[in-house]
Amino acid sequence: MQVQIEARNLTKDFEELRAVDDLSFDVKAGEIFGLLGPNGAGKTTTLRMLSGLLTPSSGEAFINGHSMSNQKIEARKSLGFLTGEMDLYRRLKPLELLKYFGNLYEVPEKELDERINHLADVFGINDFKDRYCEKLSTGQKQRVSIVRTLVHDPQVVILDEPTTGLDIMASEFILQFIRKMAKEEGKTVIFSTHHLNEVERLCDRIAIIHEGKLKHYGTMQEAKSITQRENLADAFFNLVTEA
Amino acid sequence: MRNNIISTIFKKELREVLRDKRMIYLIILLPFFTYPVLFTLIGKVGQNQQEKIRDDKVTLLVNPESAELPIVKTLEAMLNLEVEPLSFTKDMIDTMSTAIGVQIDQKPDSNGDLSIAIYFDESKDLLNARKHQVVGVIKAYEKQVVQQRLAQQELPPEFIDPVLLEEVNMASDEQIAGKILGSFLPMLLLIFIFVGCIYIAIDITSGEKERKTLQSLFTAPIHVPEIIAGKFLAVFCVGLVSALMNVLSLMVAMLIQVRLMGGADAMGTFAISISTEGWLWIGLIVFLTTIFLAALTLAVVQLANSYKEAQSYVSPLMMVVIIPAVLSQMPGMELTMSTAMIPMLNIALALGAVLKGTYDIVLIGAVAASVVVYAALSLWLASKVFRNENVTTGQKVSLKKLFG
Repeated sequence: MQVQIEARNLTKDFEELRAVDDLSFDVKAGEIFGLLGPNGAGKTTTLRMLSGLLTPSSGEAFINGHSMSNQKIEARKSLGFLTGEMDLYRRLKPLELLKYFGNLYEVPEKELDERINHLADVFGINDFKDRYCEKLSTGQKQRVSIVRTLVHDPQVVILDEPTTGLDIMASEFILQFIRKMAKEEGKTVIFSTHHLNEVERLCDRIAIIHEGKLKHYGTMQEAKSITQRENLADAFFNLVTEA
Repeated sequence: MRNNIISTIFKKELREVLRDKRMIYLIILLPFFTYPVLFTLIGKVGQNQQEKIRDDKVTLLVNPESAELPIVKTLEAMLNLEVEPLSFTKDMIDTMSTAIGVQIDQKPDSNGDLSIAIYFDESKDLLNARKHQVVGVIKAYEKQVVQQRLAQQELPPEFIDPVLLEEVNMASDEQIAGKILGSFLPMLLLIFIFVGCIYIAIDITSGEKERKTLQSLFTAPIHVPEIIAGKFLAVFCVGLVSALMNVLSLMVAMLIQVRLMGGADAMGTFAISISTEGWLWIGLIVFLTTIFLAALTLAVVQLANSYKEAQSYVSPLMMVVIIPAVLSQMPGMELTMSTAMIPMLNIALALGAVLKGTYDIVLIGAVAASVVVYAALSLWLASKVFRNENVTTGQKVSLKKLFG
């Protein structure tokens, strides 16, 4: 299968601190890839380098074959990126916001309208389409944020803790959508979360990072075998504490 | 740069601004309601104060020996003075809050000549005004005595006026109005443009960082100059509209006030006469100044990571705008090739010169050119700041790294 996301020797220094240290991995088309690590491990910095928000101190990131350093615009056209550090424009209504981002991604008008209508139906956005985003509940905001990430139909999707703050129903809906997106539409997904049960249910392969270094890269089964643990939580704990 | 992307960002920023009640208040409601109300209030307070100064009675203490002198009789006839013959001391005048002391003595061995000392507190407007009245009466008395003495000597009144001095003011009403407007309008205009720019600049940069909406823009396939251009256009438009609204409202409020205080005749003295060319220059300078201030405010406030932090930049920036504008009003400060290169000062001087109708087209052109250069530098700075990843990710920005 074609590699859609490639992290090649990614390193990021913030003055004296090395936040990410020589990280390499790749994710193939249709794969759901879990990026795991305790707080401060370097997950967000890694995802920011993959999306081009941060420039690596060394190394390079590729999205859909395009270098994030030299072909940033092309790489970003293939990418949908969502983190907890992204909120919605409070004085726009959900459909206005989706249209705005669709226009920024230069999606043709007719195609954009169809796509917004489809996603608004799937995510139930029409129920609150006339409210300003600042008036939406956390769950409604997250639905709009995910649709915003997908409005240009990207081949690669990076979701940083997409279920944080959501109730079980909303979380379940989003997890099922991610699975459908990857398995039925062939999208490539990087999924970062603290909920290991979500990882076990969704991910094909994982990378565990700690203090900026890659501790494990492979399947969950491999992580359990290497650490001789029966569940992912124990394997994760073993891998990040062995150093 | 893609125009459709710039236009998309620009329209979105304007849409958000137009839905922000606080911004609408600042741009439209504040100028349209505040100035007329403020001017009416100030006018009323001023009028009351003038009436008070005109009508309130002041006690005039005169030494008892002079009570029967003709000059004292003249002072007694004044409605707003209560003459009281009393031997007074300086302390007594100090203690009484509304009293003036006049010590009148006959000069020894003279033909009725007087020596007069007036004791008053200059810090009080009422006493100062009455003192001027008293001095006026004394001068009139002195003139009368001199004329009597000239008549006794059979000399014409011109004997003591060998030089007839006449001052002829050549300035028209329009020129006088232009001078008055030129002394404060440029500074107000700069403040209006600055205020119009600064709040939207904060809202769409550091405000967006605080609200966590900036990163999604920076992960879209857009070039930084396109983001800057879209945001800059929004700041520019709001700054320009705000300035025009403010000036328009201010002029209307002033005209209403002039009419209320002086009637229809007073309107004539307020007319200004600016040629078509002058208006074009004013328009161009205001346009370029708005570009400059929009770019400058955008460059500076995006360094802040929150609304609160950005607001702490407002006062220093305001000083950068106001101090040169105030300097432009200092005596001897004129538009020259050197001052035409000093930012803000050049704008204030150029606007002042056009309003007064005393501008040199070469110097005004030099001001316009220098403002273009400063605007371009500010845009470059804004673009450089926005390219810094710490700015977009809401980290602390190191100025050393930014310019290193």
